[in-house]
Amino acid sequence: MDPQALTTAAEPAALADYLAGLPQPPPDHQHGPARSVREDAYQGHRIVITTTYEITVDGRPLPAHVGVSNDGEVHCHALPAYQVRSAVDIVRALIDNFPDDFPEADGDPGHGGHPGHGGHGEHGGG
Amino acid sequence: MAVVRTDIITDTAARDAYVHGVNLLKRESTALSTTAFGIPGPPTVVHTYDLFVIWHHLAMTSPVPPGGDWMVRNGAHRGPVFLPWHRVMLGLLEANLQRVLGEPDFGLPYWDWSADGSLAAPQSARIWKPAWMGGQGRPITTGPFVFNAGDPNSFRVRIETAPDVTLRQVDRGLRRAFGRPTGSLTLPTAADLARTFDTRPPPTGDPDLATYDFTPWNAGSRGFRNQLEGFRGPGLHNQVHRWVGGDMGPASSPNDPVFFLHHCNVDRIWEGWMHRHGRSYRPGMTASPALRGHRIDDPIVSPLGPAATPRSTLDPTAVYSYDVLP
Ligand SMILES: [Cu+2]
Repeated sequence: MDPQALTTAAEPAALADYLAGLPQPPPDHQHGPARSVREDAYQGHRIVITTTYEITVDGRPLPAHVGVSNDGEVHCHALPAYQVRSAVDIVRALIDNFPDDFPEADGDPGHGGHPGHGGHGEHGGG
Repeated sequence: MAVVRTDIITDTAARDAYVHGVNLLKRESTALSTTAFGIPGPPTVVHTYDLFVIWHHLAMTSPVPPGGDWMVRNGAHRGPVFLPWHRVMLGLLEANLQRVLGEPDFGLPYWDWSADGSLAAPQSARIWKPAWMGGQGRPITTGPFVFNAGDPNSFRVRIETAPDVTLRQVDRGLRRAFGRPTGSLTLPTAADLARTFDTRPPPTGDPDLATYDFTPWNAGSRGFRNQLEGFRGPGLHNQVHRWVGGDMGPASSPNDPVFFLHHCNVDRIWEGWMHRHGRSYRPGMTASPALRGHRIDDPIVSPLGPAATPRSTLDPTAVYSYDVLP
């Protein structure tokens, strides 16, 4: 690493101009159900698995990029440090991490009370 | 002149300089507004510190290679470039802190989270005391980064990642929520870190940890990078983000100043690994073009241009070193 190159690139104007010039994700890339594609090669065969998640919270579609990796674990791009066994767990994590997007429901001051989740054994991606 | 990066718990001068410098960068306006970065809403001046929030978000949403699947690996995470990219990012923040502080020999401090993870009550560790980073809350109410809506000079979160992975404007205090069940109940411990350096045969250790990374070069890979990033093994880097919670969860995690202390420690662990195994990196340039952006001589998503490649980051000793390596 070259200290002089670092100092030059670190100038706020240089960094800002660089970032403003980066391609921005297309504005409508988040619409529709979250879709992820797994590809694998096995014994000379090509495997392609497309998984689609249709998720609602409180009846509203969840506009999050939920995907599944080849080992069947689920992650969401908005939460880069999360990769969990169940799509239910990733949605719970989204609710905890984005409190402004999921205002507390009436009469349910806590979390973990959502019905239909039997624990951590459920594989959303498998 | 190379600077020395020190432990923020023991080097209180570095701590005070860091806190002061962060608050200065939070108040320093750039010439560009939110509109220039495609952030919806009224055009609002973007401040220097918040450029790092935008950069982290954009590097995450840059599929690598262009046109690839950003869910598989991106310009900063889930692949070999994870450590080089964050090294460049820290270098640029450190240079900005040196500039606003007028202290060319300032070295970014690190937070040795594995030491705190071994405590009975990590949430009461010194790093969260008012003289360091302040504690948890929505928003936090102690320490140097407390929000006061009426004081334009107070620390505030202005740009964040939304669940749909777009950037949006906000004006609120910093949030932390330690040890939530949906995040992580615990921090990595000293024993977890020791495992990362244990290359003895199983069941004691894992000889693959002597190698930087392995095919398929993603969040499922064997090897040191993925162990430290935390998709394999005890969870290290990822686990710290999840344990701190709040603003450390989303892709806009540089919003929390503890982000840089955390990543400085991640970088220090990488240095500790290279001290044992040499300044080596994989994959090389013979790897598939589908890995463009992660191979040793590919440009990193950074303002340094094509000269900044993973190879160029492997030896940072002209820029900085650490007082102690793990
Ligand atoms: Cu990161």
